[in-house]
Amino acid sequence: MTEPGALDLVKLLAARYRAARARPYLAGALFAMTVVSSPTVLTMGVDRYWRCYASPAFVDATDIDELAGVWLHEVAHLLRDHHTRARRLFEQSRADAAAGRPSQLDPQHPEREQLRLNLAMDCEINDDVCAGLDAASGVRLPPWAVTASGLGLSTKEPLFEQYLHHLTAAFACGRLAWLDCGSGAHDGQPAWELDGTGANPLSPAQAAAIRYRVAEQIRRGIGNAPRGWQRWAEDISQPVQDWRRLLQATLRHSLAQVSGAVDYAYRRPGRRAAALSGTVIMPSLLKPLPTIAIVIDTSGSVADSELGIALGETAGILKAVGAKGNRISVYSCDAAVHTVQEVCDTAQINLAGGGGTDLRQGIRRAQEHTPRPDIIVVITDGHTPWPSERPAGRVIVGLLGPPPALDEFGVWHPLRPPQWAETVHLR
Amino acid sequence: MTSLQTMPADPDTIETLDPLATADRLIELTRAGTTVPDDNPYLAALALAISANLPVLLWGQPGIGKSSVIERLARDLQLPLETVIASVHEPSDFAGLPIVGPDPAREGIPMAPPDWAVRLHRSGRGVLFLDELSSAPPAVQAALLRVVLERRVGSLTLPPAIRIIAAANPAETAADGWQLAAPLANRFIHLPWLHDPGIVVRGLAGCWPHVLPPRLMPTGLDAAVRKARSLVCGFLTARPDYTHRLPTGIEARGGAWPSPRTWEMALRLMAFAFAAEAGSEALSIVVRGVIGDGAGLELMAFLERADLPDPEELLRSPGSFPAPDRGDLVHAMLTSMVDAVRRRTTRARWDSGWAVLARMAVSHPIDLLVSPAMDLAALRQPDWPLPTDLDRLEPVLALLAVAK
Repeated sequence: MTEPGALDLVKLLAARYRAARARPYLAGALFAMTVVSSPTVLTMGVDRYWRCYASPAFVDATDIDELAGVWLHEVAHLLRDHHTRARRLFEQSRADAAAGRPSQLDPQHPEREQLRLNLAMDCEINDDVCAGLDAASGVRLPPWAVTASGLGLSTKEPLFEQYLHHLTAAFACGRLAWLDCGSGAHDGQPAWELDGTGANPLSPAQAAAIRYRVAEQIRRGIGNAPRGWQRWAEDISQPVQDWRRLLQATLRHSLAQVSGAVDYAYRRPGRRAAALSGTVIMPSLLKPLPTIAIVIDTSGSVADSELGIALGETAGILKAVGAKGNRISVYSCDAAVHTVQEVCDTAQINLAGGGGTDLRQGIRRAQEHTPRPDIIVVITDGHTPWPSERPAGRVIVGLLGPPPALDEFGVWHPLRPPQWAETVHLR
Repeated sequence: MTSLQTMPADPDTIETLDPLATADRLIELTRAGTTVPDDNPYLAALALAISANLPVLLWGQPGIGKSSVIERLARDLQLPLETVIASVHEPSDFAGLPIVGPDPAREGIPMAPPDWAVRLHRSGRGVLFLDELSSAPPAVQAALLRVVLERRVGSLTLPPAIRIIAAANPAETAADGWQLAAPLANRFIHLPWLHDPGIVVRGLAGCWPHVLPPRLMPTGLDAAVRKARSLVCGFLTARPDYTHRLPTGIEARGGAWPSPRTWEMALRLMAFAFAAEAGSEALSIVVRGVIGDGAGLELMAFLERADLPDPEELLRSPGSFPAPDRGDLVHAMLTSMVDAVRRRTTRARWDSGWAVLARMAVSHPIDLLVSPAMDLAALRQPDWPLPTDLDRLEPVLALLAVAK
């Protein structure tokens, strides 16, 4: 029908129409992409400006059902914002490598890492492309598509950042080494891509608006999205924040409130007033030192590794804001308090316990300590009774594990921490 | 000095051989450079906020060049710049120094303003740059509230033409950082300031980007305000829960969030963006900077749809409407047009629906037209003849044949 070497646009667009009909909630995103014919692209690829590059030879050789599957695949790269996530990961890895920490990507070999990223991203996407679609929909994935199950990976945590841990460089060989979904996926710079001008480039703000609309349609239940897409739509409306940042912010705020830290007060007149011949009354700086108690849930239900991370982070933050060692005491507690320590260094902390949980004991013991703590930090998985009355001082609860959920009888599992505590989810 | 005198050189060089003067000249040379206009959306957002005369807060890591951007900006606009490091000042430096006069009971105690406020007051214009805002203790932040919102420093009122810009380091990068108090945070446009390696490289090579104040179209001012008003009111009528929403997290309270005050700021910024025909990227950055990410994104998505041509207008003049470039917007426009025909089906409306479709078939990918065309075809009454534009829609039928 078309001359050799030219793109069969009717076939490609017919495939897009099929894809949009099979997944109506993705139609807006599919139609927002601009088709660019490119003889150098290997199969099909997308760039970060939402342009889709298609090879005429690939379009000719591929069945229309499979082309529709490829459309759904490419739009998923863009909707899931893979290129921004890839850039973030590269930046993090570069910082890690510079600091001598183990990094998730090897910044020395960007091209190999882009391929690994692309593989991991395809694993994240491909399980959802055809989930719940039957043969009548006219959409299927090409047989050579990479899937997590095909590579023998567990699909428990279906995000590419997790898959990347299991994908060693050895996976990227053979025909898989030819995989390249473009800069819209791995954020590299393939040779065939145009720059940011011409051919309807989409700006990040426009892309964000499209993502928002798609997520809204999925939430409204248009076209029964598969689990993976539903989870994506939930997550995008409640962006995951780094719990370290949240914990830090909460701690800092509490410290500022209880200590009045380096704030101004007229309790003692400021010395600068002398320079003004005594006609001006100036305030002076005050910095009382806060006392902090950390109550740790060492019951059997909490994993030691999680506990270690949370504790290390808390102690690190306290140190950074200048809380002195002998002002921090740590209570390890399950159903009873096992150890009480004043610590100067996290390496000193002994954790003991492992039975059932009653953190009320730990909080009570912390309260009885003199001087009484200004801040009580509780680190727990939440499976504990809470004191019925508000303790003196501020309480911060670091909650490990899954957030509380309602069961069918309207009861929260685990019990939600009381209102008087500032709760931070550590995950 | 003996070694200098024995050096065989001509007298001119010896005269200028004061080592520090030469060093100073070298320093001067490394700093010399030009500025060029740049289409970076963050700079455009900053320019928009400054011309709208709303207080801006730049968030960025230390050393990223926030202060130098402000210095260049002041130089470009030829405005005097007063930099005040908020963290080293006392509350009384912003609230005014209480000076006890001869008869305080009768005359009260005047609050004397500091010198920078007096200088700004005298010149009538300029930029007040509050640096290190997040390192300022809470009492200082409280004192700054009046400076930022009411422009009062002690008993002095800063002239309305003064622009207020602040910079802050995110709490996790500054060991002595404080969270920004929610009332102060709610008075600023929050702009994340990132370093773009490309800009830094060009800058070190001697060419920094230049912040141009947006060029406002004097003829479009009324229309811009009308459009901004109808958008904000339309959005808040549909989503009244966004009128005021204080975030629950402590960290988020120190950022941008929707409140009647920030909506008022958003309205002004949108009017400026429309009057200056600013890009959607810059508008999105400032809007998210005042009402927060969630509300900002929803508002931008709402704006995109509100910008589409009215379906009734399309049906009235199918030959002369401005069609959007993007496929998803064309699809949305056609779908709403077919809905309009369905609501009131007459032959004339049905025919002009086909005319719109035929026009789109020439300029846009044809798969966008398939489902609107099928819906429109289903509305046909038995006695209506086939539309005249059908030949231009032939590719759509071809596509449908392939897709089936």
